[in-house]
Amino acid sequence: MNTWNKIVLGIVAIGMTAGLATAGDANKIVVDGSTTVGPIAKAFAEYYMGQHPDVNITVSESGSGNGAKSLINAACDVAAMSRPMKNSEMKAAKDAGVLPIEHIAAMDGIAVVVHPSNPLANLTIEQIRDIYTGKITNWKELGGPDRPMVAISRDTNSGTYETFETMVMNKAKMGEKVEYVGSNGAIRQRVMSTPAAIGYVGLAFTEEVKPLTVNGVEASAETVASKEYPISRPLYLYTNGRPKQSSPLHDFINLPDAPEGKKIVEDLGFVPSN
Amino acid sequence: MRLQTRKILDRTFAGTGVLAIVLMSAALLILLTPIFIRGAGALFFTGTVEHRRLMLEKFDRGNRKQVEAEIRSAQAAREPIYRTIAVFDQQLAHGDAKERAKYKKPLKELKKALQDLLGPAPGSVRPMLMRDQYGQTRWDRAQIKLARVLYREEWDYSNPTKSGVLLLKSRAADFAGTPIQELFSYMEKNLDQLLLPRRTLYWQFLTDESFDSHFFGGIWPELLGTIYLTLGAMLLAIPMGLIAAIYLTEYARESRLLNLLRTCISTLAGVPSIVFGLFGLAFFINTLKVSNSKSVLAGSMTLALMILPTVIRASEEALRSVPRTYKEAALSLGAGRWHTIWNVILPSALPGILTGIVISMGRAAGETAPIIFTAAVSVGKPLALWQTLSQPTPALSWNIYNLATEHEAVDEVRHVQYGLVLVLVSLVLLLNLAAIILRARIAKRMRA
Repeated sequence: MNTWNKIVLGIVAIGMTAGLATAGDANKIVVDGSTTVGPIAKAFAEYYMGQHPDVNITVSESGSGNGAKSLINAACDVAAMSRPMKNSEMKAAKDAGVLPIEHIAAMDGIAVVVHPSNPLANLTIEQIRDIYTGKITNWKELGGPDRPMVAISRDTNSGTYETFETMVMNKAKMGEKVEYVGSNGAIRQRVMSTPAAIGYVGLAFTEEVKPLTVNGVEASAETVASKEYPISRPLYLYTNGRPKQSSPLHDFINLPDAPEGKKIVEDLGFVPSN
Repeated sequence: MRLQTRKILDRTFAGTGVLAIVLMSAALLILLTPIFIRGAGALFFTGTVEHRRLMLEKFDRGNRKQVEAEIRSAQAAREPIYRTIAVFDQQLAHGDAKERAKYKKPLKELKKALQDLLGPAPGSVRPMLMRDQYGQTRWDRAQIKLARVLYREEWDYSNPTKSGVLLLKSRAADFAGTPIQELFSYMEKNLDQLLLPRRTLYWQFLTDESFDSHFFGGIWPELLGTIYLTLGAMLLAIPMGLIAAIYLTEYARESRLLNLLRTCISTLAGVPSIVFGLFGLAFFINTLKVSNSKSVLAGSMTLALMILPTVIRASEEALRSVPRTYKEAALSLGAGRWHTIWNVILPSALPGILTGIVISMGRAAGETAPIIFTAAVSVGKPLALWQTLSQPTPALSWNIYNLATEHEAVDEVRHVQYGLVLVLVSLVLLLNLAAIILRARIAKRMRA
């Protein structure tokens, strides 16, 4: 009998802790998704937790596609995405009883980057497309050194990839030799260490690589803000439904509109949204 | 075969064996030495006054009076720099437009490089991001940043068919003939006055939370996360594995089905860990919904599944190697089956079982793939015990990957990455060492 009592007690205790854990859920925010939005989400989390030490905000950087899947499966509170949700994702969300609501976190440009030793200064959208379809294979063809190109792209799970595909590739297929990597940071490092490489990254990831001008326009916060830069896009935070007024989630999601949030976005090298 | 040939063959064999062992030790040494040396750099380094200011402001650590005196002394040493720049700013504002245009960009770049090295200029607005609020906290990084103040990188693309050549242009030359020109030699000579470097032991690296996505602070959330995940996995895997092993050796009748089962277990042990990770996401999180999001619980369950086959196989082998005579003696004395297993067989098999358990613990601590989708995040707070049921956590193995590839400023956080590697490798080495010692001790006691 004694043993049974212990077992029952144990189950009750576990149940109670689980109950407690669920009760504490109001004070956690799980952010999942884009690696481009990662720096913003991490900085927002740091800022918010600094003011509300009882809230735990976790951020994972697994790509926009994973963020969307996570939100549809109700496995995260905020999906950070560098592209809008697709119709298919909206439908899947609806079927799962999730209502994705869009919030704009910032504006960003996709910088086309090469190794700093590369003498090239400018590319047109068409040239970039030709590089990624495999039509241009050597820097020589663009007047550069005689060196086979190493084109590096994000994986298909990435929102940056999707934006690049719509705005640059224009439905043309990526060439066979294109290399795919899993994050903005990884592209940056690959380009930093490979003189013949070309890649594309969010504006916050251009340190120590050389961003080219596209159609003669420099990739910078200013040109993105003035809409001159041809490859720019908003960055999004998606939630399931509108968060309750004055809940931590509500405050967090509205940070991009607060002056402090705008300052953070700006300091990170992105463009605050209006 | 002639005796001579046999001897030669014998020696060759022994020689190859020794060579293999030497090669392996050398590889281990080559692998581990840099890990330990660079990893130690996260805890022992030459820290600047900025490090001590950070410690004081964030944790109230250090002798307040002394640190404040140091900050004042550093400020006094920096004062001429900011004063000269202010004077030059004034001069430009009142000078002609051509001058202003000429120095606008170099001056902006210089101010940025200075802020990177020394932190925000006095009197400027306090930046939002912590990485902009402090200058360089480490002397090695400070020297790199000083070089950026003294020189700017310029690429010579004069021959477009060749790679550009990196030229280091002295900023002093850019500002030739202005009061700023003097600044550079002053800074180069007095960098130690500006930053007051001192040997620092930052052992709290292990117990501090990280700040501003690992730019500052320590690795406590990661360390704690790994401990939770590993212990959770052991808590689930040990009872299940042990019971399964006892059943397989003592209760189950040898049959074809049993053999099939054994083959299945061995196969499971060889399944790549990423498969377990995806299974954990699909089964524990999306189907069973053990938690609303990724969580330590889901991660522990996935890790437990991954090491279960190893625990079963090791325990089974250990149980099987207990001499039959022990069991027969116990049974002949009238002990029941369960009694025999509990009091005779299990204790004698314990060294083997424990070794298996501790080694799989090392594996659980080091694996990355199973926790990517089930438990690990880039940043998060250290969790309280009850939060592990519903919340995800950073973990050593995952954050090494995160800092090495996904992070936006990999070079700035390199020392944290090395620190993480050191802690993880030490943890696994310690666990393996514990297994060896445990085994030796128990075996000795058994013999006595």
